[in-house]
Amino acid sequence: MHDLRVSYAGAVKALRGVSLSVPEGSVVAVLGNNGAGKSTLLRALSGTLPASGGAITGGTIELRGKALPRDDAASIARSGLVQVPEGRRVFANLTVEENLRAGGLAAPDRAKRAEARAWVDELFPILRERATQRAGLLSGGEQQMLAIGRALMASPQVLLLDEPSLGLAPKIVERVGEVIREINARGVTVVLVEQNAAMALAVADHAVVLEVGEVALRGTAEELAESEAVRERYLGVSTQAAATGTRVESSAQPLAVEALSVRFGGLAALSDVSFTVEPGSLHALIGPNGAGKSTCLNVLSGVYAASAGSVRYGSHELTRLRPHRIAALGVARTFQNIALSPRVSVLDNLLVARHRLMRSGFLADGLKLPRARRERAEHEARVREIAELLGLTELERPVGTLSYGTRKRVELARALCAEPELLLLDEPVAGMVRDESAAMADAISRARAELGISVLLVEHDMTFVMGMADRVTVLDFGKRIADGTPATVQRDPDVLKAYLGAAA
Amino acid sequence: MNQFVTLFVGGLFLGAIYSLVALGFVTVFKATHVINFAQGSVLLLGAYVIARAHESVGFALAVALGVLAAAVASVLIDAVLIRRIRRADLGTLAILTLGVDILLATELSRRIGTDVLNIGAPWGSDVTEVAGIRVATSRVLAGGVAAVLVAGFWLAFKFTDFGIAMRSAAEDGEVASLMGIRLNRVAATAWALAGALAAIGGLFLTSFPAAGVTGSVGLLALATIPAVVLGGFDSPGGAVLGGLIIGVVSVLTAGYQEELSFLGRGLGGVAPFAVMLLVLLVRPSGLFGTREVTRV
Repeated sequence: MHDLRVSYAGAVKALRGVSLSVPEGSVVAVLGNNGAGKSTLLRALSGTLPASGGAITGGTIELRGKALPRDDAASIARSGLVQVPEGRRVFANLTVEENLRAGGLAAPDRAKRAEARAWVDELFPILRERATQRAGLLSGGEQQMLAIGRALMASPQVLLLDEPSLGLAPKIVERVGEVIREINARGVTVVLVEQNAAMALAVADHAVVLEVGEVALRGTAEELAESEAVRERYLGVSTQAAATGTRVESSAQPLAVEALSVRFGGLAALSDVSFTVEPGSLHALIGPNGAGKSTCLNVLSGVYAASAGSVRYGSHELTRLRPHRIAALGVARTFQNIALSPRVSVLDNLLVARHRLMRSGFLADGLKLPRARRERAEHEARVREIAELLGLTELERPVGTLSYGTRKRVELARALCAEPELLLLDEPVAGMVRDESAAMADAISRARAELGISVLLVEHDMTFVMGMADRVTVLDFGKRIADGTPATVQRDPDVLKAYLGAAA
Repeated sequence: MNQFVTLFVGGLFLGAIYSLVALGFVTVFKATHVINFAQGSVLLLGAYVIARAHESVGFALAVALGVLAAAVASVLIDAVLIRRIRRADLGTLAILTLGVDILLATELSRRIGTDVLNIGAPWGSDVTEVAGIRVATSRVLAGGVAAVLVAGFWLAFKFTDFGIAMRSAAEDGEVASLMGIRLNRVAATAWALAGALAAIGGLFLTSFPAAGVTGSVGLLALATIPAVVLGGFDSPGGAVLGGLIIGVVSVLTAGYQEELSFLGRGLGGVAPFAVMLLVLLVRPSGLFGTREVTRV
């Protein structure tokens, strides 16, 4: 693969000239944060970019010296490059056996199919036992085994794995790692995309770290596991002393999360999590993918129901309130994926947030009565103030025409326009380049200081978190594994293990 | 009582024909997520070809030609119009097929004019007596053919490689293509099957007791829409059951027209839709449909 460039909808540049060569018979890990371009890279390889609105805008991909077709997933799979998709995606309504047969459809001939079938039985005896059950009834780990088995049925030369450890228990992740090694031992080349650096570096020969669409680091797995640069990226251990955030004057009340548990069917997304966000502090909630961070935020804002435990904001119990009631208490949130109206101007997007503060009804407003006009002018002035605080200019432009980083700041501004006391931020710098992320950090600190609010921040980018948080809670597999100041959390052995594995 | 049983059995046989057409509808929807309103005019095309061809080439070959013509027309709709905008909105695609339906049906009615074309079936207007109930022979045959085809479909879906490819593609097209399943091929097969089923449905819908092929036969296929909705859009089993229910309901309401006259004339045409609405009130996704799940 050489100088690969990919963009979505002609605008968002997801890969900016990535070159990568995978030697035959090796295991190569592709690491990086959310939005780094890992999945895009796989989509480009497997020919599924068009399905998500992306296109290769430059560069080449070759398999054994032959160029691969760009958007014909089926023939790429038939030529020996088979992908196990993220999130397993087994055919839930087909039986286990039928899933494996579906995988075998791409196999070159009957003999290969039979051979692959025998191998899958040997690798995953559990699949034989449950052959006649619907795949949807399998546990997460079994589904991952099935997804890998299904891909192996096609007798691949190159196997692409997209986040195989996502949301699985540590024991299963270990087993997935073993399976990958066994597969590789049979001569199959493996490209492993992972956020779980610990697992990936333990399995891989070589690794690259992607950062916002570019290769930031590359080397052998040992080199990278030892490297300071990887530690910095994953743990935010930076050479500059972490800025100990100063407490600000605040009218907010403490947010106390106590013994919070959330279950989805049999899956425990959060179990027995407790922490407190002190008034005026910047509290970060971190953890690897699937740790339960977003689930936690969704409970706090009333989108999900808690199975047990309590969340109190001041004297109010939030777990029993509807989302709009929680917003009315002065708790605002932003979303991981931008949720703004793209055709509407920045100003109007921000004014929507003033809704709960506006007094005049729609009749008065529609008739432009003097009172309504005065009120609107006041709100507009306040909105402009907040926008300026966050460094937003050009308020008349439609949101859809702004850059990604600016749109994320508009989202933050909208949350602030609701005049919250407590702000919940879901991955505010996911997929941002360094400058954008610095601008965001600046915007958050300034908003906190000027408006006197508490902030609960969910984030993957460790450098970002460690640089500005007062206190950090670390989740892993739905459990709290650490809670303390950034400095103590960075040295916590459990945290190191969760992020970099036992080796670190 | 005797009248009721006669009507009920007659309804089941009519329903069997609807089931075939509905099955084609569901197959296309499952494989390509298109609500194919052109099914009615493709049905008319099949019947038209059979009616025109049987005098010169004989009935059996005429049926083969009709089925082939309908299948080819159906595949062309997919390959020429739908394929390039596969990811378009459900509504856009449905409206596109409506347009095709209008074009094709208009052209065929123009060719047919005011004639009533004889379908040329060798069983003509024979009547068969089963356990004291008199039913048109063509309907009994339709029931038999439908039973064989439905069973064949079921077996093919369940056990063949083609069936597995089709079901995988229906469940998650992107992953299916990652497994080397050629989606365009699966789609073309589904459309061809739907066209063939429509032609067979058309053959029986225009046989005795119906008069023959007229320009408005395509509208008859409208009755399969409540059958499909009732069964739940993406369920082949639901389509078959829905077809049977609609067949029975329309024959019963037509048969008891006098007793039901307080509801107005022509109830037989409305009743299928009334039943559909009643079922949807209780089960919004139809009898066997998958509930639409949206994640925020």
